[in-house]
Amino acid sequence: MNAPTRILVTHLQHHVFYVTDLERSKAFYIKVFDLQFSALNHPDSSAAMRLSQQEMHFFSFGFHHHDICLVKHHKLKMDNNSMLHFTLAVKDAEAFDEIRRRARDMDLPIREGRMLASARPVPRAFCLQDPDRHWIEIIEEPSR
Amino acid sequence: MSNTAFVPPNVLPPFKLRFAGLLKRKWFREMVLLWPTLTKRRFSNKTEDYGVFKPSLVSHIGQLSIYVRDIARSRAWYEKVAGMIHSRTCELEPHPFKEGWRIRCCYMSATDHEECLVLVEEYDPSGRITVPSGMSFFHFALEVKGNQLEDVLAFAKQQQADGFQLNYGPVRHNSEPPLGDGETGGNVACYLYDPDWHNVEFCGAMDTIENYRERYGELKGKDRA
Repeated sequence: MNAPTRILVTHLQHHVFYVTDLERSKAFYIKVFDLQFSALNHPDSSAAMRLSQQEMHFFSFGFHHHDICLVKHHKLKMDNNSMLHFTLAVKDAEAFDEIRRRARDMDLPIREGRMLASARPVPRAFCLQDPDRHWIEIIEEPSR
Repeated sequence: MSNTAFVPPNVLPPFKLRFAGLLKRKWFREMVLLWPTLTKRRFSNKTEDYGVFKPSLVSHIGQLSIYVRDIARSRAWYEKVAGMIHSRTCELEPHPFKEGWRIRCCYMSATDHEECLVLVEEYDPSGRITVPSGMSFFHFALEVKGNQLEDVLAFAKQQQADGFQLNYGPVRHNSEPPLGDGETGGNVACYLYDPDWHNVEFCGAMDTIENYRERYGELKGKDRA
């Protein structure tokens, strides 16, 4: 008898990470990447947030309801000790240049190249940190 | 941190896990939100202009690297649970931003997303492996093949049949019974903790600008609560 077919995953869909100051981070992600604010789950609007003592701000890259979400835990302190980095792939070469220009205008320190020495090479890459020192890698890649 | 039995503080205790399913009941959500309702502080989750987005400069999330205590154990979990494919495990390399520290990277692929997840063992200068704190991210989400409600339900059933405990779900992140938990996004989801207590969402059928408009038309946020 054949084993039942396993249900697989196709791709990394969204990422939900902790921040300390939602407004500061919201401003950062909108200013640098033009992310679109899609929803706010607050303890006064969401039963799950009220029970978990969290608040979530959802952001879209422009098609799905959310691609990244910022979370503030109202009781626990966030840190950088469970995630090394995440990567945002840009729409096109112009978008890559625009993000880099904005980062420079904001005096954000830039680290050239890929975050991980062992990562596969891409045409262009650089890294910066958000206000909570989460490392963000920006890459230009061929369309998947 | 070096205690291998460490459980991050954001991990749901068994007591709370038992109540999580009640979020699919409207009466329970109304009870939890009674105070903001009575004090008129309650509001809609949705922003008023959801569905009229401009494209951002970003196309997609390319990669995520997370700390793990044991690459072999985590790799086996992601292979078994998510059906992910091992791409390669590298030799030790210098930590990109911690002087004197080293890392070892294991690259995992999904069917349509090469090397989307990196499992990272981190070694301090004395060579001791670190324990992930659990407090950098709440969860990350992997999309289930098929991307429909039925696919996520089948995925959840498969995990339970294999003895893996869901920590939440399956639910649908909207207010529509029988699966709706009152949250936002429209995605059908179930959640599991990986061996390091990283919370992993397995999802499908998220709202897009297009299907959201089909369902709700031009209704404003306050009318969609």
